[in-house]
Amino acid sequence: MIILRIAWRSLWRNPRRTLITVAAISLNAAILIVSYSLMEGFKEHAVSNATNLVVGEVQIHVPKYLVDRSLYKSMKDPKAILSTLDRHDVPAASRSYGYGLVACENKSAGALFWGVDPTAERNVFDLAKHMGEGTFIPNTPAKGIVLGKKLARSLNARIGSEIVVVVQAADGSLGNELYSVTGILKAAGESMDRTAAILHQADFSELFVSGGRVHEIALNSKGKLALDELATLASQVAPQAEVKTWRQLMPSLSDMVNMFDAGIWIFGIIFFLAAALGVMNTMLMATFERMREFGVLKALGATPWRILRDVAVEALVLGFVSAIIGTMLGLGVSYYLMKTGLDLSMFAGDYSIGGVAFDPVWRATIRLKTVVTPVVVMWMVCLIASIYPATLAARLNPVKTMVRV
Amino acid sequence: MIIRLAWRSIWRNRRRTLITASSIGLGLTFAIFFISLSEGMYGQMIDQVVRMQAGYITLEHPDYRDAPAVDLWVAVPSEIRTEIEGWPGVEKTKLLVLGQGIAKSGAGNMATAIMGVEPSVEIQSSPLARNIIKGSYLETHDNPLVVVGCEMAERLNLRVGKKMVIATNDVNGMLVEELCRVKGIFKTGSEEMDAYFIQMPLGFARRLFRMPDESATQMGIILKNPDDQRRVLRKVQQKVSDFPVAVLSWQEVLPELASYIKMDKGSNYVFQGILIFLILFTIFNTILMSVLERKREFAMLLALGTRPGQLRLQIFTESIFLGLIGCSLGLIVGSLAAYLVHVFGIDMSTIMGESINISGFALTSKMYTKISPGIFLGSTTIVFIATMLLSLITMRHATRLSIVDTLR
Amino acid sequence: MDLRKTIIATLCVIAGLVLVFPSAQPVRCGGKLSPKEILDRVDDLFRGISSHGRMTMKITTAHWKRSLTLEFWSEGKEKSLIRILAPKKEKGTATLRVGNDMWNYLPKVKRIIKLPSSMMSASWMGSHFTNDDLVKESRMAEDYTFEVTFEGEREGHKIVEVTCHPKPDAAVVWGKVVVTVRRVDYLPLNCIYYDEDLYRARTMIFSKIGRFGERRLPTVMTVVPEDKPNEKTEVVYEEMTFDLDLPPQTFSLRSLQR
Repeated sequence: MIILRIAWRSLWRNPRRTLITVAAISLNAAILIVSYSLMEGFKEHAVSNATNLVVGEVQIHVPKYLVDRSLYKSMKDPKAILSTLDRHDVPAASRSYGYGLVACENKSAGALFWGVDPTAERNVFDLAKHMGEGTFIPNTPAKGIVLGKKLARSLNARIGSEIVVVVQAADGSLGNELYSVTGILKAAGESMDRTAAILHQADFSELFVSGGRVHEIALNSKGKLALDELATLASQVAPQAEVKTWRQLMPSLSDMVNMFDAGIWIFGIIFFLAAALGVMNTMLMATFERMREFGVLKALGATPWRILRDVAVEALVLGFVSAIIGTMLGLGVSYYLMKTGLDLSMFAGDYSIGGVAFDPVWRATIRLKTVVTPVVVMWMVCLIASIYPATLAARLNPVKTMVRV
Repeated sequence: MIIRLAWRSIWRNRRRTLITASSIGLGLTFAIFFISLSEGMYGQMIDQVVRMQAGYITLEHPDYRDAPAVDLWVAVPSEIRTEIEGWPGVEKTKLLVLGQGIAKSGAGNMATAIMGVEPSVEIQSSPLARNIIKGSYLETHDNPLVVVGCEMAERLNLRVGKKMVIATNDVNGMLVEELCRVKGIFKTGSEEMDAYFIQMPLGFARRLFRMPDESATQMGIILKNPDDQRRVLRKVQQKVSDFPVAVLSWQEVLPELASYIKMDKGSNYVFQGILIFLILFTIFNTILMSVLERKREFAMLLALGTRPGQLRLQIFTESIFLGLIGCSLGLIVGSLAAYLVHVFGIDMSTIMGESINISGFALTSKMYTKISPGIFLGSTTIVFIATMLLSLITMRHATRLSIVDTLR
Repeated sequence: MDLRKTIIATLCVIAGLVLVFPSAQPVRCGGKLSPKEILDRVDDLFRGISSHGRMTMKITTAHWKRSLTLEFWSEGKEKSLIRILAPKKEKGTATLRVGNDMWNYLPKVKRIIKLPSSMMSASWMGSHFTNDDLVKESRMAEDYTFEVTFEGEREGHKIVEVTCHPKPDAAVVWGKVVVTVRRVDYLPLNCIYYDEDLYRARTMIFSKIGRFGERRLPTVMTVVPEDKPNEKTEVVYEEMTFDLDLPPQTFSLRSLQR
């Protein structure tokens, strides 16, 4: 305790030097926290943008369903799975899919029909909010249809347009029906833009004579559960099914996130080095400037070990104070960036990566590691940078040190 | 006189000088390296995608963007092509025929994107040519040979030398079928490409779609230096103003990639800004501290009758020396580091697997820096000027001190 | 790809069938034919200036089994019209094909849809016919070289077996096609398609020879894909008239909706 008090007092003997050092360490730490949180945010943002739109974090299908999306590879008891998930408090939405043809006046195109539960989509996913024009299909079946952006353009379809749909139903017959366009999606990735035609699950079942077949259940805990926890839960709930995480479902996005990770690694190293350089140089200089003082101490009979110890304790105290200030400052700015975010739309409008549309507002993500790592690193650098010159001083001849300067 | 004095003065406390100079120098090193790396990261990506697609500058039918189809072809006379190839800054030009069709074999059929290419041009740049796993890449300009992706080969049960029939609509909308044989099978790692794309010689593609000689759906221009894009684009526009041809930049042809890169650039600006701030702050700190620690010395000089103005001039000259030393150090080390990474690259495959694909384009997993005198000299100038400004700020402390208090 | 397949399955439905089946030349019995002549005969068996008739198509897949009754008209190679008579749910659904254009009429919603021509180049999948069977314009004799590989008795019939090898540059996916015809009147018995590795890919069986007016034809045709032995498509001709005068508006959008 006494040692700490001595250290504290000796730090305030030269308040200006101490303030500069504290400012250097805390500001470097704060900047590191902010940039690290921003980098993490960039990555997590990419993931949540992708998973929240429609894919979800984990999907359940019948094995091999995704290979050919056959209408007949439907799930055995989707209702039971959904209610079990509900009991575990995991939000999920079920979907049916089938291929067919859509036509609007004299234009026609192939499409992948989605039978969705609009209530679940509205609660669990962002798709219903992702409308370029019009609105998502209503919660009760009303022969409404929502089209992908490019599909609508190739059909020349607008809100209210009448769409003729022809499909081969599950019983082999020709299913055909008229729908009216309630909405057109914003860009949501190439394949959705080109082929998505979204119907109410009840309308879908009628069109395809599919008796309520469900092909996919998408789970989205919005980060509440870790990916592997969620996947384990899903395989428990649906033991015979195929459980895939977004990393398997969107390999290109997964790759991209890995690339971000690699980028963050390299960028992070540069940032840490630059910050460490700042702290080290400030600390080195502060300690070197005290050579004279150490010389006097030594002449007064202080052992080298004591000098070292004093310097180390001072550095620790200094580092501690700076760490607190830095953390508060860094957290404050990161928190602001988490809530408000940086709007990058001045650089780019709508854009999509690997078939996933992105929101141009960039938010920071605060994680334990984004705060602890910078603080610990700064503290260590601070200690090392003070002990090295102190070792020199402790070994030096007191007279020599005092003569210099 | 003052210069000699300043020079001697900075070497009186060698340690302090070294610390200050290293703050400036290493700071500049980081800045140069970071900016080169972040600029280079997507430069590489653009270059790969653009080379595989339709070049930095694309000539195509004005209506092609709205309704891409083979009937909207262009025919750029070969004299113009040769002339453009001779322009400074232009590496080469390429012709492409892009179309759609159905690939059939005895085992079934699949939709496919057909790329008619000039093998001699493509072999150097296309990721498909680089990733042949069986057989070999296309050679001549008109044989009915194709390279297909491994996913398609598997589903259609194709091997090298096997037959494949391509059905499509020709430029008149008529149904046509042509027989071809598999020359090679590629695996890029992108499922979309491996299951969907086929490449065939340009001449065969023209025959398949019944397109006239010299025609193509796109003519692409590949530049030696992407920075020349605007200049060459304008020149091409003037050159072909008599033809019904649209001259587009790659940003217009690949808007998704362009906006991704713009966005990435945006985030890079933010990081570059933070890093520069970090570095300047460190420089400020070291300069400030060295001035404060020398208060006694300054007070002594003032007490001995040096005029404040003279003292300030001496301190400023010292900062110039420090700045010069630091900046040259930083410029040398930073450029060297950037150059090494430019040549060898940082292999990120250990962190993230074989290849990445963004918007369906498979890319290699090496990170390269962009070497540009603009980055090097720009960063150096910024750091040097900032150092000067920072030392001007700290100088006030040096001359506005109370001599008596300080000396006591 | 499956997208396209299914669409074709749904819509092209029977569009081209007419091309394959109707019409034939009177059979010249007796004299021995060259392999090329045999193939020409098979090719021409169902072709004519025009035709009109009724047929039943029974499709068995792993998931469903259904039977359609269809009425058809055709003229030359270019024009055909098919209308579903039964089942009731789909009654009145019709497909018109003129050259490369194809339209469908859907009585339930009372709309005509024009099919993008690219859709037609895909295979026809709801049943087990491929597009080659339906809209193929080339004749076997042009794309293949032939040889008689067997002549004699097999399973109680006197038969001739002709093996067809595709010409090197013909746009044909098969490795070879083996056609078996009856020695006595050169009516086809079966047709087996092999892929390039010479594995059997598809079998077409002709049976129940009957008479429509002047012509004797196999009235039942069955297609079995080798990779799905439990599935098949069977076409039974019930009535057929050849070379009749069809009013010019038969192949118009108006008559499509009738």
